[in-house]
Amino acid sequence: MYSFPDLLYSDVRIEDVSKSDIVVTLGRTDNMKEQRYSAAFIRVFDGERWYFSATTDLDSIQDELDRLASLAKKNRSIEEHGVVRKLQANKGSYLRFDGDLNVFKTSLNEKYDILSSYFPHVEKSELVKFWRGQYIDQRVGKRFFSSKGANLEFDYQRVGFRLLFQMAKDEEQFMERYDLAGNELDSIKGLHEEVRKTVETSEDFIRNARPVVSGSYPVILSPEAAGVFAHESFGHKSEADFMIGDRTMMEEWKMGRRVGSEILSIVDDGNKPGVGNVIFDDEGTKAEETYLVREGLLSGRLHSAETAAALGEELTGNARAVNFEYEPIVRMTTTFISPGELSFDELLSGIKEGVYVDSLNHGSGMSTFTLAPCRAYMVRNGKIAEPVKISVVTGSVFQTLNEIEGLTEEFKLLSFALGGCGKMEQYPLPVGFGGPYVRVRSLSVH
Amino acid sequence: MTKERYVVHYTENAVKIVQTQVSSVRKKDILRTSIRLYDGKSMGVAGALGECNEEELVAKAKESLKLAIPYPYEASRELVREERHRSDLQGEEELLEATEEILQKLRRDQPHFSFSHLFKSARVESSMQNDLGLNLKSSREFISLELVIKDKKSSNIIDAMTGYEGRKFHKDSFIELTNMICDAYMNQLPDIEEGVYPVVFRSDDMTYYKKLYESLNGMLFGSGGSLLSGKIGKKVFSDKVTLFQTRNVEDGFFEPFFDKEGTVNDSDRFALIEDGVVISPYTDKKTAATFNLTHTGSAGGEYDGLPELGMPMLKFAESHKTAKQLLDGQKAIFILIASGGDFTQDGRFATPAQLAFLFDGDRFIGRLPELSLSSHIFDMLGKDFRGVSSEDFLGIENAKLTIMDMNVKKL
Repeated sequence: MYSFPDLLYSDVRIEDVSKSDIVVTLGRTDNMKEQRYSAAFIRVFDGERWYFSATTDLDSIQDELDRLASLAKKNRSIEEHGVVRKLQANKGSYLRFDGDLNVFKTSLNEKYDILSSYFPHVEKSELVKFWRGQYIDQRVGKRFFSSKGANLEFDYQRVGFRLLFQMAKDEEQFMERYDLAGNELDSIKGLHEEVRKTVETSEDFIRNARPVVSGSYPVILSPEAAGVFAHESFGHKSEADFMIGDRTMMEEWKMGRRVGSEILSIVDDGNKPGVGNVIFDDEGTKAEETYLVREGLLSGRLHSAETAAALGEELTGNARAVNFEYEPIVRMTTTFISPGELSFDELLSGIKEGVYVDSLNHGSGMSTFTLAPCRAYMVRNGKIAEPVKISVVTGSVFQTLNEIEGLTEEFKLLSFALGGCGKMEQYPLPVGFGGPYVRVRSLSVH
Repeated sequence: MTKERYVVHYTENAVKIVQTQVSSVRKKDILRTSIRLYDGKSMGVAGALGECNEEELVAKAKESLKLAIPYPYEASRELVREERHRSDLQGEEELLEATEEILQKLRRDQPHFSFSHLFKSARVESSMQNDLGLNLKSSREFISLELVIKDKKSSNIIDAMTGYEGRKFHKDSFIELTNMICDAYMNQLPDIEEGVYPVVFRSDDMTYYKKLYESLNGMLFGSGGSLLSGKIGKKVFSDKVTLFQTRNVEDGFFEPFFDKEGTVNDSDRFALIEDGVVISPYTDKKTAATFNLTHTGSAGGEYDGLPELGMPMLKFAESHKTAKQLLDGQKAIFILIASGGDFTQDGRFATPAQLAFLFDGDRFIGRLPELSLSSHIFDMLGKDFRGVSSEDFLGIENAKLTIMDMNVKKL
């Protein structure tokens, strides 16, 4: 199909994108649209440097290949280069969402009806002053060709909605959301009980929450909080592009090093359902289940071809680009803490005074990680007690990983419709996350 | 029926840096076109990426009109303005050359550190024209030099950051800033006594702005869901606090001077808070009409969708004092990285500060241990607000310093 330049590696990624977006604010439709476009990202590699171009003109792809090649230095040994040798050359068609599961077989009006079926839950609350409902879906057909002979077609689909609401009572305000996504339209149907419960729990929160007394507490993380914790505190550190050429990091992050408690395993897997379902990455590499931590020991990293070659490790299928305008870089797919064996009551038992983090606004991870809770509660004498307002929960990443002392058998994988992971300029990338309920011996709570 | 054409053409050259070496170069050239049709009750919109057939777009916009999405506001009219602002380093070659020059200097000056991330130069060309005499054209170029700094002996992903966004290539100042950060990083200071300190943020640091975005959102404000709801005309902050929404290129805003509804403000700014008094939340036509608020020209949204309330760039007015004068002889805590903190719904604030330097008003003295900062929005912008420096830090564009007293504890 394309004439790839001699003595260089090159590849072409074409994205055929269909998207829908419906926004309703306080009962009034703000936006309702469908969008379709095709665009491409082209890469050329000469063994020393990469040359990239993003274009919306598919007819110019060959010209762009030739232009980038003219900037590069021809390399007679390019096929023996470590990065090029690592790259897979997969072939075939792996379209999963082009039949009945294709969300674009459903009309925009039907999608509006699904979204609006949830509105009564916020409309009937006296405390809700502002609300917004948003439905999104996206189907991306990807075609990948390379000078190594890759000729691959696969697709990705996500469907989700968010109901955001702001409550006010006297001088108090409280903003919460119900947000869920999956790979098919059925993922977001019939969730009335869950939405109703979120609104009711929020009403209780705004009525009764008091500022937390700052201090160090044993903390119980919900699957949402645990998933975000794993993603922010450990997931990013497992992205191998951060350690290329960095001897200190490579020494610190040797495989087999103990990084957490023996009950802790953290996994990244692009085959799991949800918005992080990426069966091939944007270098045409098949997704793998990668144990980042297995029973407390460092056991894996996330790779692109470049990082796998540099570190002498195997590909994992984690080279992703947020859209056609960007090159693939090492990103997570679906990252989670593996479940344990306890019941929720067993997890709480023995806690005289602690904190339960139920839902989150956001999290971040450097050497100190943070979780900014939305809804949180005190735990007293082994039971969930009064709601509390918390700005931020912090801890040292490695100390916390080693202080995980309980995991439930109950486990959830979560996908959100809006937002996503940010890394440098590429935001927001849809990722899945989750885990069991997790007990941490001690964290700082403010 | 009014027809309106909105076009955004974004071009960019970027150089990616890994371990203080150029690892890749990237070019982007993205054209987005949309057609809007107003019939007095609704708007129909259709957009396309890349070159397109406008007649087809008009036909699609007519189809979209049948969805009857309410938009009973008149299109902006009878306004003609064209401007062009250039920047340095727009050529692919000159950007690469400048990057290599800086990296060579840093390899020599700071051998204990490695530097990664991105230098780019970009141009945003936007136009909006309609049948009612609206003809707006904006072309703004800028450069962005951003580096993640890593101590070669550290096992962290990120140890520090440096960078700026502007129109001039401040090579010497950028190198001076980066060297100052690295040198201060290497000078680890002993423990700090806990207490109240002046804390310095760069004016582009969102850490302390977050609550203002939420509290001045016209939709939340008007519906009673904001901390500032019902407080128009009331003094809620220090009289040193004047806050603008801005599209002024001199404030480091590189999108067009008009919002997504073609609204243009005097001096491309609108004061939302003046001398501590709430003037207005930020609004678009719909929000202003729905809640009987002042229209401030803050429409955003995707190019191929109906305009909706956007998030404007917020900027505090500078004081007449330098940072040194604002500190009045005190040493301050300069925040380089404060990641992950937040405000509670009622305005309490807490954040870890992963990287902070002791600062004398002119230069960094040394690196402080990781800290925890806390306060309340009404104190941060109230009694504890010292002001925004009159000068840019080290003469780098858009690098004013905002100073406020906060509670500081060890982490």
